[in-house]
Amino acid sequence: MALARRGGIGRYYNVNGWLFVAPALGLIALFMVYPILWSLWMSFQSGRGMMLKFAGFSNIVRLWNDPVFIKALTNTLTYFVVQVPIMILLALILASLLNNPKLVGRGFFRTAIFLPCVTSLVAYSVLFKGMFAHDGVVNATLEAIGIIGEPIPWLTHPFWAKVLVILAITWRWTGYNMIFYLAAMQNIDKSIYEVARIDGVPAWARFTHITIPLLKPVILFTTVISTIGTIQLFDEVYNLTEGKGGPSNATLTLSLYIYNLTFRFMPNFGYAATVSYVIVVLVALLACLQFFAARERDR
Amino acid sequence: MNVRNYLPRFAGIALAGASLMAVTAAEAKEITVWCWDPNFNVAIMKEAGARYTKTHPDVTFNIVDFAKADVEQKLQTGLSSGTADALPDIVLIEDYGAQKYLQSFPGAFAPLSGTVDYSGFAPYKVELMTLEGQVYGMPFDSGVTGLYYRKDYLEQAGFKPEDMQGITWDRFIEIGRQVEAKTGKKMMGIDPTDAGLVRIIMQSAGQWYFDEEGKPNITGNAALKASLETINKIMTANIYKPAAGWSDWVGTFTSGDVASVITGVWITGTVKAQPDQSGKWGVAPIPALSIDGATHASNLGGSSWYVLESSAEKAEAIDFLNEVYAKDVDFYQTILTDRGAVGSLLAARGGAAYGEADAFFGGEKVWQNFSDWLAKVPSVNYGVFTNEADTAVTAQLPALTQGTPVDEVLKAIDAEVSAQIQ
Amino acid sequence: MNTTFTRIAATTFTYGFVGLMAFLSIFPFVWMLLGATNSSIDIIKGKMMPGGALATNISAFFTQVNAPLIFWNSAKIAILATVLTLAVSSLAGYGFEMFRSRHRDRIYSALLLTMMIPFAALMIPLFIMMGKAGLINTHLAVVLPTIGSAFIVFYFRQTTKAFPSELRDAAKVDGLKEWQIFLFIYVPVMRSTYAAAFIIVFMTAWNNYLWPLIVLQSNEQKTITLVISSLASAYYPDYGVVMVGTILATLPTLAVFFFMQRQFVQGMLGSVK
Repeated sequence: MALARRGGIGRYYNVNGWLFVAPALGLIALFMVYPILWSLWMSFQSGRGMMLKFAGFSNIVRLWNDPVFIKALTNTLTYFVVQVPIMILLALILASLLNNPKLVGRGFFRTAIFLPCVTSLVAYSVLFKGMFAHDGVVNATLEAIGIIGEPIPWLTHPFWAKVLVILAITWRWTGYNMIFYLAAMQNIDKSIYEVARIDGVPAWARFTHITIPLLKPVILFTTVISTIGTIQLFDEVYNLTEGKGGPSNATLTLSLYIYNLTFRFMPNFGYAATVSYVIVVLVALLACLQFFAARERDR
Repeated sequence: MNVRNYLPRFAGIALAGASLMAVTAAEAKEITVWCWDPNFNVAIMKEAGARYTKTHPDVTFNIVDFAKADVEQKLQTGLSSGTADALPDIVLIEDYGAQKYLQSFPGAFAPLSGTVDYSGFAPYKVELMTLEGQVYGMPFDSGVTGLYYRKDYLEQAGFKPEDMQGITWDRFIEIGRQVEAKTGKKMMGIDPTDAGLVRIIMQSAGQWYFDEEGKPNITGNAALKASLETINKIMTANIYKPAAGWSDWVGTFTSGDVASVITGVWITGTVKAQPDQSGKWGVAPIPALSIDGATHASNLGGSSWYVLESSAEKAEAIDFLNEVYAKDVDFYQTILTDRGAVGSLLAARGGAAYGEADAFFGGEKVWQNFSDWLAKVPSVNYGVFTNEADTAVTAQLPALTQGTPVDEVLKAIDAEVSAQIQ
Repeated sequence: MNTTFTRIAATTFTYGFVGLMAFLSIFPFVWMLLGATNSSIDIIKGKMMPGGALATNISAFFTQVNAPLIFWNSAKIAILATVLTLAVSSLAGYGFEMFRSRHRDRIYSALLLTMMIPFAALMIPLFIMMGKAGLINTHLAVVLPTIGSAFIVFYFRQTTKAFPSELRDAAKVDGLKEWQIFLFIYVPVMRSTYAAAFIIVFMTAWNNYLWPLIVLQSNEQKTITLVISSLASAYYPDYGVVMVGTILATLPTLAVFFFMQRQFVQGMLGSVK
């Protein structure tokens, strides 16, 4: 009797469990898993356009000898190493400043800083290109203040072009991450801060010793999401550099290279698929590393 | 009784109506066209469509505009997927990419050799759309190049329009120095992320990144070497204004910051869009290199129409292109006057619009000049990897300006191109 | 004395820093508004003052673009995608959290891995699939691949952890079926979660560029993002018109955000508990 009942519950439990998740699983299987396996199969082929032939591992060999691929890989990793920490730290600092209930106008500030991420991509790249033009408003302002003597070649110098891309992504996504932290901070017991303040713990130490450890799960989550976004970076670079990743490939990312291999260059879908698998592997590795690092520090 | 009388009549009317509808259904053809510039080729195609519909009321047109990169991308996706209903009947392709599409997707485009009389077009346009003896496209606008210059600035620096005719690049740079010394204006705008100027100079001496067989022609390419040296000289002389991207580059001359522009004839509309600069501009042939085979004529961009083999309205599409673009001289006068489009049909230049003096250019017969230069543009094989080579060239430009010897830069470009074109 | 000084310095720093960041965040929007009032040439020159070309730009935009149709297309796609994504993902989030089992937990982990797949790798296969299904140039083809989103499933599962289990138990005692519990108790209770997800998914769907570009073929089907991009890439783009377009394209996402802002912050709160 007891067994039968348990079996009944188990079946009920299982049938309902599968029913609830089935639509999502079905859609993801059909529109993500199936095409990505198809891509895997393509990555072992090579050729022009649709004239693909089986090529074994020759695409992987080609990766090593392809200076443009190496360049795109280095650029992508540079963006990741420089941009993700800056953005996460900035978002954390802003969140903890805006978390202060005594701050006048914090609703306004919060909304203002979040706003960039609702803009359309095409719109914002048009804006940024205009603002950072040679005689654009940014250079003009910096010159007027006296920070620079000569206009900065934002889009024409390899170094500054990278800086501009980093500025653009940071502008667009810092507020988005900040909202996650602000939300998480609502859960931290205010009295912890009070006690720390009375004990004379300075603001910076409160930030590093209380806020950051307590927010660790959220920080981990946003870091992984930002990592995925940055390693797959495409939209911003595509729109800011007219699809070229210039100057001298300085802003070229892996995703943009895939796009070029598929649409701008002589189409080689096999090789493009191989490069896209580099991204998959890279993101998987980095995400694992981040989870691992987070767990290590727990001990 | 009555019913019997009426019945056949009704049936007759109904039948006639049905057959009428069947006829219109079979006859009404819609030709879908993809192109990219609302003020230029889109508007021109609408004009062409309107002309054809006048004589063929059963054919209508659906002209769709996307950004240029988007047209290329959609075309490539559509062809790769083998999904015919994802493609238009006619598509506009930039000339540099023609061979890439013809060779990567054999059988995708309809050959027009049997229908169109190609002897009436500028030879270089026909050459670039020929594959294995078949000609595939309908030549459209030309990118024949010119040197647009500000007469007022040059006059201040002591140069007359005659001084701009038939000059060499060294002379051009010398003039640029004088102009900057006297007027404080830079000679030209340069976008270092774009290899357009390299291509203009290289083709003016009859060479390209690739040889006749499509093999890379980089390290031993005298014209490419000379064009890189020329650009290096311009940069070292610092007579240019840097621009980032297209709109910034356009801004260098619309704002009056530079004294000249060297580019394709399709820029004329943009130059003329500044009414306050009317009468201040002149046009001369582009400067020439000082090597064998150097000329004053070249090309930048330009595009042509292609009919998809899979098109349901293939016959109508071909007939339409042939009737309007290969025969209608008057059409070419209209698009020249309205849109500043210089077509590549040589007979068109006999028309009235080509002979007209242009007040914006101080009464010069600029269109006549451009069509004269058009016939002189050296034919080259654009090959299938122009985008790859272009990327390699722009990647190496900074090294060149930082003092790396030209031969080493050429080697680096060659290495990158070779790695890309497997 | 010293502490007052520190406090004043800290306050100054806080307002200075936050104010600067807010300024930098808003500035491009101001620039966009100014741009819409200027002629194309003035925009290229970087003019920072309001101009007199607003009316010209607006009328040029509405003559060049069939605005009502284009906005209707964008709205249809964005709302359809959002409603379906929310429905499918919240069901899955509920299912994964409420009916935990070893198999489903494993599948869930695998599901999260799909977030790592770059869209570029899916484009060609997806396009061929849509072609075979005869869906090219339909809005359905734009929407379908975006519905199953591992990220939103993850978000709903996280927030479901905060759903009070007493409510569910009480409902069960009252004899409600699982789908009734979901529909009549979970959905109303979690409305701020839905609001936050709505904003995120709507924003993404409204601004989506690459995929609609590939599958949509005709002028009648295009979205506002595609239209702006084609306006901005003409040989000689009219930037005044482009600016009007970008403002109009941004308005709906701004409206959605302001309208749901309160629930949005609450909803985010649930996800990080």
